[in-house]
Amino acid sequence: MNFVRDYGAPLVLALLLHAGVAAALLRGWDAEADEPQVVTPRIIQAQLLVMEKPVPKPRPRSVPTAPPKPKPAPAKPLPKPEPQAPKPPPKALPKPDPEVERRAREEAARQQRLQELMERSTKLALDEDVAEESVIEANTMTYADAISRAIVAAWSRPPSARNDMQARLQVDLTPSGDLIGVRVVDTSGNPAFDRSAETAVRKAARTLGTFPVPPEQSLFEAHFRHFTLLFKPEDLLR
Amino acid sequence: MNEPLSILELVKGATPLVLFVMLVLAVASVVSWVLIFQRWFALNRVQREMDDFEDEFWSGIELHKLKQEVDAQEEGDPTGIESIFIAGFGEYQRLSAQSGADPDAVMQNVQRAMRVALNREEERLARHLPFLATVGSTSPYIGLFGTVWGIMNSFRSLANMTQATLAAVAPGISEALIATAMGLFAAIPAVIGYNRFAARVEVLMKRYEAFTDELTSILHRAAHTAP
Repeated sequence: MNFVRDYGAPLVLALLLHAGVAAALLRGWDAEADEPQVVTPRIIQAQLLVMEKPVPKPRPRSVPTAPPKPKPAPAKPLPKPEPQAPKPPPKALPKPDPEVERRAREEAARQQRLQELMERSTKLALDEDVAEESVIEANTMTYADAISRAIVAAWSRPPSARNDMQARLQVDLTPSGDLIGVRVVDTSGNPAFDRSAETAVRKAARTLGTFPVPPEQSLFEAHFRHFTLLFKPEDLLR
Repeated sequence: MNEPLSILELVKGATPLVLFVMLVLAVASVVSWVLIFQRWFALNRVQREMDDFEDEFWSGIELHKLKQEVDAQEEGDPTGIESIFIAGFGEYQRLSAQSGADPDAVMQNVQRAMRVALNREEERLARHLPFLATVGSTSPYIGLFGTVWGIMNSFRSLANMTQATLAAVAPGISEALIATAMGLFAAIPAVIGYNRFAARVEVLMKRYEAFTDELTSILHRAAHTAP
């Protein structure tokens, strides 16, 4: 009874106060949350990296475009049998041998057929090549895309970066995808920018561990052992 | 998860230890507020009673009559300044009723009785203040402990991830910081209340002592002038 008289009102007041604080906190928190924050980022979202198509394509074109010259016919119609007739009489003009002539004609026809055949097969092979090339291209683009995305994510451009700058870097990889080296082959003129690009490649390598590279040896050799990257900041606001 | 975390979610998601710390702090906060209100009312009442009593005391009323009034109006034990008056004057009445009492001995007893009453009153005024002091000084540390523990946990869970993102640690840290906020929320009113009430208790005690001295001198005069 005494306790209630002494502490009843304070207890009620204290509980009311805490309930009020809790309610205000919860409600205030939510109200703040309701407002959608529309902040357009001042910073750039850009495609920063252009993976250059590897320049020299050392694809061994197995079939040269020019058909091979027909081999000289084995039967040469011109061997002058001089020693045979040391001094023939003037009337002894070598008469074309009918046999030889026939064989030459036959040979020519055969050659032509062969050539036709060869041309056709070349065309076929070329077609096949084109199809295969597109698959390889797609593959290459997938890997290249992954690499460039990783590097873009790792790239923090220096404040001095401008839209018209571009730096070209050569990147060397091992077949396992480890980074061997990166160097600037074409400077942007801004050392900080070049350095940031270089750092981005190294940082991406560190984060990823190894770059994704195609398992096919030939593809790797062709496109990934050495490749160049073009760094250019685009859509900078300044 | 683009909507901000609600504070309730954060509290619910806390680790058990942090939750426990929060609970302790919430209880400490409620209790300290109860005591703050209680002390506030109690000290106000004590002051009001003291003002009333002193008005009456200095109105030239007979001390016998005053004692009867006080005895009559109090249903229980007299409190505050009245209890000091009753203790001192009651002792004086009892001793001086005995014939042949030495005035100095009477006054010594009266003073002792009033000192005891004064001590009891001081204890009554300053009740619960140590609790407020304790809450005020320790609850920030308790909250900090909860926060450190929560942050420790959230960083430890970060260690298992391959990619360290702010999103992975932010909820944990936010949740842990609630403990510090609660600690401060409990501590600040307690500290303010403690300082305020300690000062008021001191003022009241000064007035008790002054009253004690005045009553002593009045009774001293009465004892020595009495036949």
